[in-house]
Amino acid sequence: MELVSLTLRRGHPGERPPGEPRSIGYLYLAPALIVFAGFVLVPLLHAAWLSLFEWDGLTPGTWVGLHNYGDVVSDPALRRAFGHALILIVFYALLPVAIGLVLAGLVARIHVPGLPVFRTILFLPQVVAMVVVAVMWRMIYDPDQGALNSILRSVGLGGLAKSWLGDFGWALPAVGLIGTWVWYGLAMVLLTAGAQKIPQSLFDAARVDGAGPVREFFAVTLPALRGEIAVALTLTTIAALRNFDLVYITTQGGPGDATSVPAFQVYDRAFKSGQVGSAAAIGVCLVAIIFALSLLINRTGEPRWAR
Amino acid sequence: MTSRRDQSLTLVILGVFSLVALLPIVGILVTAVQDPNGLRSFGSFDGIHLGNFGDAWTQGHFGSYLRSSTIVAVTVVVVSSVFSLLAGYAFGMMRFRGADVLFYVLLLGLMVPMEAVIVPLYYDLRDLKLTDTYWALILPQIGSSVAFGTFWMRAFFRTVPRSLVEAARIDGASTWFTLWRVLLPLARPAVLTMVVLLFMWTWNEFLLALVMVSDEGLRTAPLGLSFFQGRNTSNLTLLAAGAVIVATPVVVLYVFLQRHFIRGMLAGAVKG
Amino acid sequence: MRFTIPGAAVALALAALTAGCGTPGGSSADTAKNTDQEARQTVAKTDVAKAGKVTLTVWDQEVRGGQNAQMKRLNAAFQQKYPNVTIKRVAKSFTDLNTTLKLAVSSANAPDVVEANQGRPIMGQLVKAGLLRPVDPYARAYGWQNRYSSVLLDLNKFSSDGKTFGAGNLYGLSQMGEIVGVFYNKDKVKQFPQTMADFVAQSKQAKAQGDVPIQFGNLDKFGGIHEYETVLSRIADKQTVRDFVFARQGASFDNPDFVKAATQLQDWAKAGYFTPNFNGVGYDPAWQQFAKGKGRFLIAGTWVTADLAKQMGERVGFALMPGPSASDQPVALGGESLPFTITSKSKHPDVAAAYIDFITNPDAAKVLAETNNLPAMPVDPSAVPSTGLSADVFAQWKRLNADDGLIPYLDYTTPTFYDDISGGVQRLMAAKDTPAQFAKSMQSVYDKWNSSR
Repeated sequence: MELVSLTLRRGHPGERPPGEPRSIGYLYLAPALIVFAGFVLVPLLHAAWLSLFEWDGLTPGTWVGLHNYGDVVSDPALRRAFGHALILIVFYALLPVAIGLVLAGLVARIHVPGLPVFRTILFLPQVVAMVVVAVMWRMIYDPDQGALNSILRSVGLGGLAKSWLGDFGWALPAVGLIGTWVWYGLAMVLLTAGAQKIPQSLFDAARVDGAGPVREFFAVTLPALRGEIAVALTLTTIAALRNFDLVYITTQGGPGDATSVPAFQVYDRAFKSGQVGSAAAIGVCLVAIIFALSLLINRTGEPRWAR
Repeated sequence: MTSRRDQSLTLVILGVFSLVALLPIVGILVTAVQDPNGLRSFGSFDGIHLGNFGDAWTQGHFGSYLRSSTIVAVTVVVVSSVFSLLAGYAFGMMRFRGADVLFYVLLLGLMVPMEAVIVPLYYDLRDLKLTDTYWALILPQIGSSVAFGTFWMRAFFRTVPRSLVEAARIDGASTWFTLWRVLLPLARPAVLTMVVLLFMWTWNEFLLALVMVSDEGLRTAPLGLSFFQGRNTSNLTLLAAGAVIVATPVVVLYVFLQRHFIRGMLAGAVKG
Repeated sequence: MRFTIPGAAVALALAALTAGCGTPGGSSADTAKNTDQEARQTVAKTDVAKAGKVTLTVWDQEVRGGQNAQMKRLNAAFQQKYPNVTIKRVAKSFTDLNTTLKLAVSSANAPDVVEANQGRPIMGQLVKAGLLRPVDPYARAYGWQNRYSSVLLDLNKFSSDGKTFGAGNLYGLSQMGEIVGVFYNKDKVKQFPQTMADFVAQSKQAKAQGDVPIQFGNLDKFGGIHEYETVLSRIADKQTVRDFVFARQGASFDNPDFVKAATQLQDWAKAGYFTPNFNGVGYDPAWQQFAKGKGRFLIAGTWVTADLAKQMGERVGFALMPGPSASDQPVALGGESLPFTITSKSKHPDVAAAYIDFITNPDAAKVLAETNNLPAMPVDPSAVPSTGLSADVFAQWKRLNADDGLIPYLDYTTPTFYDDISGGVQRLMAAKDTPAQFAKSMQSVYDKWNSSR
């Protein structure tokens, strides 16, 4: 955790590095910048270019201007996909951060024995490949043999057992909850660590003012954690928006298109149904949305590195 | 003045959430060792059948998939680490025109997910006749890894006391010598953190492999697992065994180097 | 993060320099012409033994029991006959094959032989892009036109521009005939229903007894097409369905018969005749439940014959969905399995053709019959099974061919129709859409494509 603050505080762009100006710096930069430009920047620009065409990926394309972007707004299938991505943000970002905050409020002033052990376990879902996570949860959600329905039936709640990934109403929340499972550990660790660093004096002052635990949380803990909240939200929001592996393996976007998301549409359109221009436009929109949301989150949360 | 009750309540809540995090993973481990002809429901238990791993290994060609994943991950990690070290050193310890702008451009890269550029990447690499080679998996991942790596190493170099570098310079050491002989030993923890994170991200990458590779010999472990699932929807035990095989390398690394993982993940929040 | 704006500007300038700015797609305008020339060429049968060391990469989706068995046997036999040839087999599930095939055949090291699903979503697009090689010269050299009925050959044909389906160049051969029909558990079904009303009555009875009337899993999305079309085959005129699939003049989806079939299917779903939670159950787990004795009927394709026969023995039978009256002519969804095609990038098209010939010749037909598969080509009468599930399947195949009763899969219709109709049926069966809405939305995606082609 110490390093977090180091990174974000001292990695301030305004600070002057030591030494005299030297052009040898460019030489050191070159390898990284060249691969970065070649495999991130150029493709991004190329995506923007492709998005202006209607192209099946095989025969020559037709210039259609911004038509593909119009489709993002007007095509109901695409609109739904982006809508689903926004709902997934609730499950990937808001829910984990809320869980993390509750815990942070509790442990703000408490020494918790064995915290490193909890931290190790809570982080585990992060390091397991998303493909493995998807395979695992597909088994858990299986309507007949899955653990979830078996548990529900064994405690007499068989009426709640359902086809989690096959139900039009439940499929998206079911996929979203997998995201919650993956990310809440990170949010908890990040926020509790932040909470434990809040100076005791702030709480004492609140106490003197007669604040109860709830007011203490809103008056002291929450504001003090703004930076950590911003970091957690940025990370999880990006994960929600780029979600592909999970949908591809658990539902293929189904039932109907109840779990179709932009990244899945990118793959489907570009490599299956021959709508490359549209796929490129969706990709560009994804970057724009990630950019806008990161900006919004970090403006509100005042990230340390931009102070 | 910590109240005991508060402490136990916190422990209980932490315990419950840890359990929820752990249970599915334990479930798949248990499923992986069940009798393949037994009940076959997720989480049931009828003894331990380690032979499933062998069966999954041969039937699913996981040997070949792990080999591909290792080749790709090691190359990406080594090359991007060196490139990031160099670039981070330049950004962190040198002054030159345009440094800030170039750094911001690189930061922008942290916000471009693979999903957004996969379409042009595929067509560009196909034009270069690189699809269906390890290069198609390695080069794009180096490109996105150096963005994080440079960001990470630059942050480290900014924490190094100026006096150290200046002393080296007065002694007549070149920038190259200073980097490798003076700074690298200090940077070891930061580099290790970067290495484990890059390794994890590379190992777990799925979409790139799905798009770029159709030759079975080049398939990476996550990709292989997804096709193995398509062919084994009925045999839960083998599928679970395959999933465990794919997840194990990173999980083992995590268990041994968890402090680095956690530190990096929290700080590297922006990479995504 | 104010700093990102100049950053973006620099990135823009940088990339504009390097990104090639031309119309994507290059010059593949002559593809069609070249393809037609290729189709007119004359070739001779190759002596594979003299072809030198060859590695043939083959992508198939023959992963279920019986199909896997025949593929293994035939591949082994081919390699034994020609030790100089190594077959590198890549087997994937149907869904995985379809999602990755297009990428694979456009790759520089494309596989030599691939199973490319009939119709516009897969074969049509590959043909349009010139990624498949017409096999007409080989058909003439090996006499393939005598091996198959013309109906079956037509299903594997496309015009070289990919626009006309069902005529033009031949692009591949299928090994197996396919019928989507009704498997039934003989322990529970004493007398197979003679009319559709009878079928409904027996389903209702099964439901009342607490059994699953029709086993069905639709998580993989394609199964629903088969359920809908099986009902459709007994309601709409077969010619109407064919006209729609081949996108002939005046064809439509939003018509009274198609809506009626949708209503029927939705009613069955509402009445609980299908596996509970079918949209969340995988296709394979569903028929495996049936094999374990759970469920009365299973509407599925003959590709599960071998597995069912192995697990259920004499306790399973196969019949066609009965029509409104017992005397109706047989009609069923079906045709033939995915054709083995040769990719344009293959360096060994002659060996590939010899391989395709080998796995579809009369000896192969025998192997297919022995492994409980249904050969699409005539098979030696001695090899036709006389008992068990396969005997039922062979009998129905014969009937359907004699009466010209097969209707093609709806998902062949337009490049995106596999996704459209599979998603649409999922919505219909979950009662998310009314039958009228379902028909209307299918019609609108069809119209959109039809007007742009």
